[in-house]
Amino acid sequence: MKEEISALMDGELEEHASARAIDALRREGEALECWRIYHLISDGMRDTRLLSQGFTARLAERLAGEATVLAPANLPGKTPVQRFAFAAAASLAAVALVGWLAFAPQPLAPVADNAQLRPASAAMTMVPLPSAANDYLLAHQGFSPRVSLQGMAPYVRTVAEHRDEPAK
Amino acid sequence: MIGRAAALLCALVSLCAGAAYAQSAESLAWLRKIQDATRNLSYSGTFVYQHGGRSETSRITRLASADTERLEVLDGLPRELVRTRDTVRCYLPESKVVKVERRTPDRSFPALLPDQLNALAQHYDISLGETRRVGGFECQAVMLTPKDNLRYGYRLYADTASGMLVRAVTVDAAGNQIEQFMFTQLNIGRVTPDMVKSRHAAASFRVEDAETAPTRLAGWSLSSELPGFHKVIELTRRMGESKPVGQVVYSDGLAAVSVFIEPLQARRDPARTGLASLGAIHIYTREVANHMVTVVGEAPAASVQRIANAVEYRRP
Repeated sequence: MKEEISALMDGELEEHASARAIDALRREGEALECWRIYHLISDGMRDTRLLSQGFTARLAERLAGEATVLAPANLPGKTPVQRFAFAAAASLAAVALVGWLAFAPQPLAPVADNAQLRPASAAMTMVPLPSAANDYLLAHQGFSPRVSLQGMAPYVRTVAEHRDEPAK
Repeated sequence: MIGRAAALLCALVSLCAGAAYAQSAESLAWLRKIQDATRNLSYSGTFVYQHGGRSETSRITRLASADTERLEVLDGLPRELVRTRDTVRCYLPESKVVKVERRTPDRSFPALLPDQLNALAQHYDISLGETRRVGGFECQAVMLTPKDNLRYGYRLYADTASGMLVRAVTVDAAGNQIEQFMFTQLNIGRVTPDMVKSRHAAASFRVEDAETAPTRLAGWSLSSELPGFHKVIELTRRMGESKPVGQVVYSDGLAAVSVFIEPLQARRDPARTGLASLGAIHIYTREVANHMVTVVGEAPAASVQRIANAVEYRRP
């Protein structure tokens, strides 16, 4: 399910698979928690501003309070001229939209992705981590003052298996 | 007129200086608050460690009354670490090995003491940033901006209510994120002794004890120290099943760099020289006087390399 949630967020799911994933989200179990955490992670990565506290609940409440608009079944028939005008306006609008998209400032690339993959020193060729890297890291970590600000969290660096894992 | 402008300027300058001082005192107080929360609170939570486009989820639990903390990595191979007042045990269930690091009383890590906190201001500009919500917590940002390019910068986000560090980002000189830790879920309190006990405590794993002992590594020194990094400790230890390895640790109060020295013939595998990286950590290996020197530190590549290149041996 985790993979499907992730694919759903990226818009990579087929229609019926999406429906299944959204159904799972509705049941408010592990899938919803997963959805929440993935969004937290991606917001964190991109430094996205979070919405104010209770935003979802307030939005749902406002939506529920909105009057239901019943669309009229049929508009009165249009004359050909009117139709042409509509079409012209629509294509103008399309041009305007394309123009706006082309000139709109591009969002900043997520910093976390590319920047981190660059070798830290361009002049220096990088070698794979030494086979005993975990031993060195474990031995080193205990002396890092960061532990006093963060507890054991930095120790995750000492034990992770990185060499066999393909980059995500 | 000029006199009045000068007086105004003086007043402004002294006002700014006063504000800068006040800000620094306030941000140091925040660092102290984070440190106290980390030590004095019991908590359990899930956090994500992110670096180089990868992320890993782990669970951390601390029982303050027993000074015991447990870290369990939830992704990939199962791994678990338990830290008590005097040991750190790293359980590797796949290989049925437990690695044991002992904490001797003379090296009181966590090592960030109040006077060291003040000393941090020598190498970092410490300032308060915005307050913003992170992972459902209202957080105060504390920025540590290095005064030179020998160290990384840090953006810390601490829960305004408890002082717990909810998010920590390491950034390089260009402001790029190098790595980050972030809680996706955190509960303060309600921790029982069972929650910090290793699930492998009863298993009969092979024990690899580091057997650390403080010492003087005769003949070994740095031809020049890296500005701001001072020697913290010098010891011998075991690593894996190897012969004793020397370790010298240098720190600027926040970042630490370890120099490992081992005889070439004692190594199990052929040594590979060069630079490797993992998140904010760089590892640089080179040969010196028939020894393998491996420098490991959470510092920019150039700093780790500079320390490695300064390692020298003089027959005592």
